[in-house]
Amino acid sequence: MSIETFYEVMRRQGISRRSFMKFCSLTAASLGLGPAFAPRIAHAMETKPRTPVIWLHGLECTCCSESFIRSAHPLAKDVVLSMLSLDYDDTLMAAAGFQAEAIIEDIKKKYKGNYILAVEGNPPLNEDGMFCIHGGRPFVEILRETAADAKAIISWGACASWGCVQAAKPNPTRATPVHKVITDKPIIKVPGCPPIAEVMTGVVTYMLTFDRIPELDRQGRPKMFYGQRIHDKCYRRPHFDGGQFVEHWDDEGARRGYCLYKMGCKGPTTYNACSTTRWNGGVSFPIQSGHGCIGCSEEGFWDKGGFYNRVTDIKAFGVESNADRLGGGVAAVAGAAVAAHAAVSALSRARSNNDKNPGGN
Amino acid sequence: MAVQVEVSGAAQTAAGRTVFVYEAPVRLWHWINALAISVLAVTGYLIASPLPSQPGEASDNFLMGYIRFAHFAAAYVFAIGFVARAYWALVGNHHARELFVPRLADREWWAGMRQELLWYAFIARQPRKYQGHNPLANLMMFLMVTLGSVFMIVTGFALYGEGGQAGHWANVLFTTWVLPLFGQSQDVHTWHHLGAWMMVVFVIVHVYAAIREDIMSRQTMIGAIINGERTFRS
Amino acid sequence: MAYETQGFKIDNSGKRVVVDPVCRIEGHMRVEVNLDSHNVITNAVSTGTMWRGLEVILKGRDPRDAWAFTERICGVCTGTHALTSVRAVEDALGIQIPENANTIRNIMQLNLQVHDHLVHFYHLHALDWVDVVSALAADPKKTSTLAQSISDWPMSSPGYFRDVQNRLKKFVESGQLGPFTNGYWGNPAYKLPPEANLMAVTHYLEALDFQKEIVKVHTIFGGKNPHPNWLVGGVPCAINLDQVGAVGAINMERLNLVKSIIDRTQEFVEKVYLPDIIAIGGFYKDWLYGGGLSGKSFMSYGDVPQKANDYTAPNLLLPRGVVINGDLGRIHEIDLRDPEQVQEFVTHSWYKYPDEARGLHPWDGVTEPDFALGANTKGTRTRIEQLDEGAKYSWIKSPRWRGNAVEVGPLSRMVLGYLQPKQYPEIRDMVERALHQLDAPVGALFSTLGRTAARAIEALYAANLQQTQFDKLIANLKAGDSSTANIDKWEPSTWPSEAKGVGFTEAPRGALGHWIRIKDTRIDNYQCVVPTTWNGSPRDPKGQIGAFEASLMNTPVAKADQPLEILRTIHSFDPCLACSTH
Ligand code: HEM
Ligand code: HEM
Ligand code: NFV
Ligand code: SF4
Ligand code: SF4
Ligand code: F3S
Ligand SMILES: [Mg+2]
Repeated sequence: MSIETFYEVMRRQGISRRSFMKFCSLTAASLGLGPAFAPRIAHAMETKPRTPVIWLHGLECTCCSESFIRSAHPLAKDVVLSMLSLDYDDTLMAAAGFQAEAIIEDIKKKYKGNYILAVEGNPPLNEDGMFCIHGGRPFVEILRETAADAKAIISWGACASWGCVQAAKPNPTRATPVHKVITDKPIIKVPGCPPIAEVMTGVVTYMLTFDRIPELDRQGRPKMFYGQRIHDKCYRRPHFDGGQFVEHWDDEGARRGYCLYKMGCKGPTTYNACSTTRWNGGVSFPIQSGHGCIGCSEEGFWDKGGFYNRVTDIKAFGVESNADRLGGGVAAVAGAAVAAHAAVSALSRARSNNDKNPGGN
Repeated sequence: MAVQVEVSGAAQTAAGRTVFVYEAPVRLWHWINALAISVLAVTGYLIASPLPSQPGEASDNFLMGYIRFAHFAAAYVFAIGFVARAYWALVGNHHARELFVPRLADREWWAGMRQELLWYAFIARQPRKYQGHNPLANLMMFLMVTLGSVFMIVTGFALYGEGGQAGHWANVLFTTWVLPLFGQSQDVHTWHHLGAWMMVVFVIVHVYAAIREDIMSRQTMIGAIINGERTFRS
Repeated sequence: MAYETQGFKIDNSGKRVVVDPVCRIEGHMRVEVNLDSHNVITNAVSTGTMWRGLEVILKGRDPRDAWAFTERICGVCTGTHALTSVRAVEDALGIQIPENANTIRNIMQLNLQVHDHLVHFYHLHALDWVDVVSALAADPKKTSTLAQSISDWPMSSPGYFRDVQNRLKKFVESGQLGPFTNGYWGNPAYKLPPEANLMAVTHYLEALDFQKEIVKVHTIFGGKNPHPNWLVGGVPCAINLDQVGAVGAINMERLNLVKSIIDRTQEFVEKVYLPDIIAIGGFYKDWLYGGGLSGKSFMSYGDVPQKANDYTAPNLLLPRGVVINGDLGRIHEIDLRDPEQVQEFVTHSWYKYPDEARGLHPWDGVTEPDFALGANTKGTRTRIEQLDEGAKYSWIKSPRWRGNAVEVGPLSRMVLGYLQPKQYPEIRDMVERALHQLDAPVGALFSTLGRTAARAIEALYAANLQQTQFDKLIANLKAGDSSTANIDKWEPSTWPSEAKGVGFTEAPRGALGHWIRIKDTRIDNYQCVVPTTWNGSPRDPKGQIGAFEASLMNTPVAKADQPLEILRTIHSFDPCLACSTH
């Protein structure tokens, strides 16, 4: 993410060194700092700035932000103070109203093509987008405008990546993931509901440190954190292979930490780093605390049938049933049909034999 | 390839005549395939709904591991067998090709289809005679066995490649595109599972039809898939 | 338009000021106020500007999954909706949970209270009182003296404050102010001396580091935070203290970790959070605006059942009851099943009812969106400049208790506790101690600052309760009971064909209830009435205003183009808009 310094941008726009210095003293004054600060501000602006980040919120629950501030390495504090410049984030910023909106305009101008747009949540498209209003306007408009000049977009969490809970059937607001609205920018999906804190800061620091977008899989997720399933690295895996399962809650198997497969664990179908990185500084992760994975980093995980069923729902052809109920049902019907057909066949054969030999014998 | 039109009353299907239909590789494949599918269906079911928990240390147990191993071993047999059978369709006799090329463009074939349906609905009193598959059987075989096997192999190896991880041949060849195609891993499981039931349904109907036709139609069936020869009755 | 309601004179004739987005809250919100010629607020309009439709989405689903959906209503008060949901389902199906499950749930809920309150004060609210830029002018030595005079928290040396100040200086000098860009620095409504500002900014950073420790209690019992896992019938984590495989369950090491976090949390609240509130409050004692409905009509459902499965008032460690029209001597009982008590109106909300003059009890609740703006709106449908509060103007519904708008939240709880000293002597003590330290009368509680102080007091109360609940867990384990789940009614085949239930909690922001109807093992209707729905509600058919709007009334604004006072008061409620509309 190489960025022009602020001074370079101003020079490129034909602003003289003199007015640049004047700008610096004005900045110092507007911050309530003495004139002594002006040269230092000027110096900072001539050196490489921290990458600006605009963090927008659509329809969501803010737990991605909450997760982010839980990061232990690096500390969220250090990310915000030293690594990037979190210039806009509704949840944390001091400003509000038009002072807040002005920041977006400012960043778009000053750092055109050089800022990162982080999106938490997603835009609803029904009701002209007015299920999520921002400054009196549909959020989707703000998203489009801000994306237009961004260098890259990070889709935080299941909301921005896939749609998440508000997009679950029947998706009354037509909540739409970011990549379906913004199609002309590199988008890094960091799914999870929420994503793991250290995965979030890991993705950000990777981009800042190596000055590039991490390697993504076909669905746009960084391979380094989403390349394996929970099940591939689950510490309960020996119990899975051994055929040792929790059969019901709080049974002997639960107390011994057996595999949660029969309790509906979605670890075998979920790509995330929980079983290795774990949560909250490595303290635990869902399975370690006795509940199966619900597949929270997977697309549409809300609509795959109950969280406690191993065999999940089928929604094709308008039927809602699980594979065993549907398939078993069809098999049973086939079996019954075969039996009935066999009976009729036997009857008709007996009758035609009679036809051939009227009177018997 | 000369297309042989097989209609009842033709010289080849005259009562008492015996023709050679299924070559040895087809018969061998048939029974290996039948065995593989049986193993796959049973182990697949047990993968989705495992047996009751095993007592003792995890390290002393590998039941689920063995069940999955059996599934994957049978899967390889099933898949390799399918490829070998496809090869034989190219080099074997014309009956060996029927499984792969239903004669959808052939009016006579459709007329035969109608006749078969009437026969199964107890309306027609006599079935037609065929050296190979009757059109209804042909279509069912193509849909359920040929396409069904491809479906099970593609979804199965996509799931298999997940365990194999990035770089594993099955992952490269299948997982990378099958997962996004279906949505996500869980959907692939569900469809694979549904496919398994489709196979079971096919087997039920197929075995019934084979035995029934052997008794009721005027040609041998079971003998044909065992020794390759079909004898016509009056 | 001018009229009187609940003792407030509403007059929308003056100059209109709009704040949208309101930041440092959860979710999307808009405030509009009218100012008279003295810049005093004479009309306040608060609007929830988002809706997701969780109540619609829940229909037809498995009730055992509802906790996971409702938990995603909010990641800030994470877990409280999940707990409310499993309680509603258990109520409907008549499921009794084991004692340990109740205690673990209590610990998790109390843990949320402390965490949410702490983060709210330092990271969402403090900048309304603390001028970050002024901290640069502080003398670290004097800051150290100030800090040591109010607390024996060890991180208080001059060198420590100097380090933080230097880091802050470097940050400001970079010209990239990050989240502090365009703040209202230097506004005359900021009253703290630079030394107090530096102390507060330092604790802003310290609290940011520490809050991630608090939530580890959720991680241990629920596997992660935000959004830990819950279970209908108990808790998902099994306990195994003695047997083979204990490492796969809650064992002694896990319990020790919980204990150490509880200890440190208590210490942080006692030695940093509460002293900061008292110190900062001391400089704003004269700023007594923002009381709104707080001294008049307020409510709490109560929470933290001491014994499992008993949700009646005497068994609850957080108080239950309603006070109406300032009659502090009379605490009304609440019956959440009574169709006449809790009702939601939509006359001014973007929803449709068959008959909008009437409210609906949540069991019969209807959620059908209907976005339409009033005739006096300025701007267009997708470019709103000014709302018409005479028509529908918010995605929040208007819940009322027996027709009354009430305030909910920590202040309501602490006052209800204060009013019942026999049952809640600790609350009485804590409130009195704080008032004494501030040298303020009880009436001072009914203000913006009072709301903020009550939250801090409650954080300590919750931190202490976390300790006693932990002790209770240990005692029960010692007595040989390690059960955590009741699975008798886990299978839907054991359920009646129709059932209805209600679950409630005291969420960090106030009284929370979920009402569920189950039909043929599926959710037939699910309605959430949420703390910020109560506080942020728009007007009702009688024109009564909600707690947010009431709290802004009659407040003077120092600079009309800098909405600092509006933010200060609105933030004192800790609004959560994702919650309010869900
Ligand atoms: C998993 C079980 C089975 C599968 C998947 C299966 C599949 C097939 C297939 C694909 C063919 C066509 C062969 C070709 O044209 O290349 C076939 C033919 C045949 N199978 Fe099976 N089979 C199974 C079990 C059985 C069993 C148990 C019997 C014995 C009762 C049986 C009897 C026959 C007969 C008689 C034919 C020849 C039918 C004809 O000539 O049209 N099959 N089977
Ligand atoms: C007729 C053929 C087959 C049948 C009837 C069958 C059946 C099944 C069934 C019922 C499942 C459980 C699905 C679930 O609910 O998760 C399953 C899983 C699986 N099958 Fe198959 N299968 C067949 C072919 C294959 C093939 C060709 C492969 C290729 C390797 C394969 C690989 C797998 C894998 C990897 C799994 C998942 C195992 C796990 O999650 O541990 N299957 N199969
Ligand atoms: N209002 C609200 Fe919540 C809380 N506390 C929940 O019920 O924040 Ni999101
Ligand atoms: S992805 Fe999940 S955690 Fe993140 S905002 Fe959405 S609902 Fe919350
Ligand atoms: S608990 Fe879940 S992720 Fe772990 S081994 Fe069992 S099924 Fe796999
Ligand atoms: S539910 Fe989510 S947090 Fe991890 S273990 Fe599963 S992906
Ligand atoms: Mg509601």
